[in-house]
Amino acid sequence: MPDIITVKNLVLVYSDGTKAVDDISFNVKEGEFFGFLGPNGAGKSTTIKILTSLLRKTSGSVTVAGYDIDTDASAIRKIIGVQSQETTVDGDLTGRENLMLQGHFQQIESKKLKARVNELLKLVELESVADRRARNYSGGMKKRLDLATALVHDPKLLFLDEPTTGLDPQSRLAIWSYLQKLNKEKGTTIFLTTQYLEEADRLCQRLAIIDFGKIVTSGSPVELKREIGADAIKLAIDNCERDKPKAKELLKTLTDVTDVVDSGPEECLNVYAKNAGPLVADIVRAFDSVDIRLLSVTYSSPTLDDVFLQHTGRRIRVEDLVKAPSMMMGGRR
Amino acid sequence: MTLASDTWYLFVRYLKKLIRNPILLFFSLFQPIIFLVLFTQLFSELSNFPGFLPDGVSYTQFATAGILLQNAFGSALQSGTSIVLDIDSGFLQKMLVTPMRRPAILLGRLTSDAFRVVVQSAIILGLSYALGGYVTTGIVGIILIFFTIAFFGLAWSGISLALGMKTRSSETVFAIGGFITFPLLFLSTALVPTKSLPTWISTASMFNPISYAVNAIRAFMITGFDWSTILQAWGVIALIAVVTLGATLYQFRKVVS
Repeated sequence: MPDIITVKNLVLVYSDGTKAVDDISFNVKEGEFFGFLGPNGAGKSTTIKILTSLLRKTSGSVTVAGYDIDTDASAIRKIIGVQSQETTVDGDLTGRENLMLQGHFQQIESKKLKARVNELLKLVELESVADRRARNYSGGMKKRLDLATALVHDPKLLFLDEPTTGLDPQSRLAIWSYLQKLNKEKGTTIFLTTQYLEEADRLCQRLAIIDFGKIVTSGSPVELKREIGADAIKLAIDNCERDKPKAKELLKTLTDVTDVVDSGPEECLNVYAKNAGPLVADIVRAFDSVDIRLLSVTYSSPTLDDVFLQHTGRRIRVEDLVKAPSMMMGGRR
Repeated sequence: MTLASDTWYLFVRYLKKLIRNPILLFFSLFQPIIFLVLFTQLFSELSNFPGFLPDGVSYTQFATAGILLQNAFGSALQSGTSIVLDIDSGFLQKMLVTPMRRPAILLGRLTSDAFRVVVQSAIILGLSYALGGYVTTGIVGIILIFFTIAFFGLAWSGISLALGMKTRSSETVFAIGGFITFPLLFLSTALVPTKSLPTWISTASMFNPISYAVNAIRAFMITGFDWSTILQAWGVIALIAVVTLGATLYQFRKVVS
């Protein structure tokens, strides 16, 4: 797939001297779900503002869909959809009117636009309140309406600046599912910024971790976590002393196991593997066949927070995501 | 013509916002009525004073021109607060990432302001007619009165838009607007004829653009098509418009880029 965004040596210095973006280079491929993960003030929103022609860069080069941001901004505006961090719906207008207005700005022919607006209201589940003023919507409804206004012209490339910040778990899950659907079914390229590890982990095919205006590392979430090292599987065995040698022999025959080491009396054995998930079932089956009784199996894989920690020496500290969504998606294991 | 259609959609948006805010609507319609009724009642006895007004002219007929402009002035000065709201809410940015034509953002606002002031003026003229203040130049005169007021309103909207974009604060726009409205109104021939003004105010009123606009509207209402007064007024308004809309455009470029 060709690149839809190419950024080389991008620098942005604000008039007060703050270097918000400090020489970053990256690319996003067509159809990709790409994310910028970083704490507040890392330069995520600034980068989006540059890519969407709202802010002029200090130096470097940016092309979007083959167009140069300095000379062809108007061509770029036709193919991008943007949802900014602040929710920007006009509260005096109804949901439908908000969508119609954006559609008019995108120069969509009236008849087509009406059908498109109905389709979008259905997608973001706002049909029943479509003709009520947006002022009376809940925070989650406003955010969904805002997302819909960014989609009205069916953009090839969608920019989302922290689309779920401040949302309740249900609204967050709903937005995640629209976005995944959009990316998979329509092939829309999505560029998303987030400070939530789970969000980046779950949605992005590839991401860049950004801190103090610099990209500290990039890759797919799995790759990034793998760089950290292997997953650890902790096994507690009923009759540990007696069965340990047999268990060790057995584990070494399993593919993907990189190392087996003794651990404390409570856990008996630690098994290291590149990707622990699929291995757990194999271990259980193998032990079962030779009558080794397992008391518990726990495994932990590195998180993106560990990745951030390794590269910056700090953890991303944001307010904790409400636990519900992370349990439902089994994000942190 | 996307500029025309973008302007139209924003024009409609602003009018919807106005209509859907009953309090704002109430004040923008009833304020001029209250002013007309109160001022004409307040000065009605005074105007019986021989020589205060030209013969055969009622105070209602005389003061309507002043009330029309006071109202236009007040309305125009609110213009800037709307752009501040759009900047603060991020709605402006939302428009700027679309291919919409940039000038429509200003034109939509200015045309809806002009429309609003014409509606308000029609109400004032209707009420004035009921109170005995008819327009001698008839329907053509009324249309030209609307034109003059809308043009005057545009010129002053420019000040408030430029201030709004410069200060990014609706409070500041309101404060400055309120501060200049009454001195400008009282230092003009809007409510009292020149010859009945104290000398220094009469001198000041000669440099006050409101006086020129008032004189033109008074010509339409009372003396007839006095073209030298009318053209003089249009000239003065045009001059103000060039300056204020120029400042608006300058500030707008800074906000947009």
